[in-house]
Amino acid sequence: MSVRTHIRNYLSSLNKYLSRLDKADAGEVIKEIESHILDAVDAREAAGQPVDIKQILSGFGPPRDLASQYVDHILTGTPPPKGFNAIKKITRGVTKGLWFSMAVFGYLIAAMLGVLGLIKLFFPQDIGLWTAAQGNTVVITFTDANFPMSREVLGWWLVPLALIGCTLVLLLTRKVLAALKNGMN
Amino acid sequence: MIKDTIKHEKWDSQLRKGSLELVVLASLNGRQAYGLELLKSLQQLPTMQLSEGTLYPLLDRLKREGLIAAEWYQEGDSRPRKYFQLTDEGQIKLAALTDRWRQSVADIEYLLDHPGPDPLFEE
Repeated sequence: MSVRTHIRNYLSSLNKYLSRLDKADAGEVIKEIESHILDAVDAREAAGQPVDIKQILSGFGPPRDLASQYVDHILTGTPPPKGFNAIKKITRGVTKGLWFSMAVFGYLIAAMLGVLGLIKLFFPQDIGLWTAAQGNTVVITFTDANFPMSREVLGWWLVPLALIGCTLVLLLTRKVLAALKNGMN
Repeated sequence: MIKDTIKHEKWDSQLRKGSLELVVLASLNGRQAYGLELLKSLQQLPTMQLSEGTLYPLLDRLKREGLIAAEWYQEGDSRPRKYFQLTDEGQIKLAALTDRWRQSVADIEYLLDHPGPDPLFEE
């Protein structure tokens, strides 16, 4: 393999492992390291020494290890020294916030479906899934003044379907919340 | 004898890890340098055998923390190089780390200068 090929392979492998960074950050890292390698090669050539590209590249270590050092501090910040609890608290707060909004979102939708199914049992005339405008819109309403020219589509089927939907959303929300909780530290 | 050298290498590397930030900030104090240049000059010092793979990610981190600034320059026909220099914030950090470093050295010197059986401190 020629010197150029070695360099190209190393940089493309590094680029692959930097893929979690945005393009500009990864590009800057590649450009900087390429500039160093080419400089080092030139210096050897100018001094009339044989160019041992493997040795030059070995100073950077395996592309994966090199990339992970950049990825670590760019994506997560420098790991805080022990005792720096303030920084950790912020990360924990963010995850808690996410967990909480997920809980509100999921349970709210489940509750709406559940209530929809139950109310249909008591006010079958006033609530339901309707199509209006010749099937161009579908609406769920709870009103005694229905859309003009609308037609109810599901009828009593709305009750089991809404309740099944409610259960599925409940289960899904619980699963997602449990997964999020695992990610909290 | 060989075992001793290995032990010292380990000690050097531990010490270097802890003081690396100070080393890099100090080497950029009052001067600009690009990566290869910095590496070559640090490697002139017996206990500063750091590698490219250590130096570049560190420079990137210091830049992100605002302690050093980087800019690409091209002189004449040469390839563009990325030059680093201290920022004001870096200067302040360097001063703080220098104080801590000197204090540690003074503390260790004190311990070395006061072997037993006398107590470490006069009553």
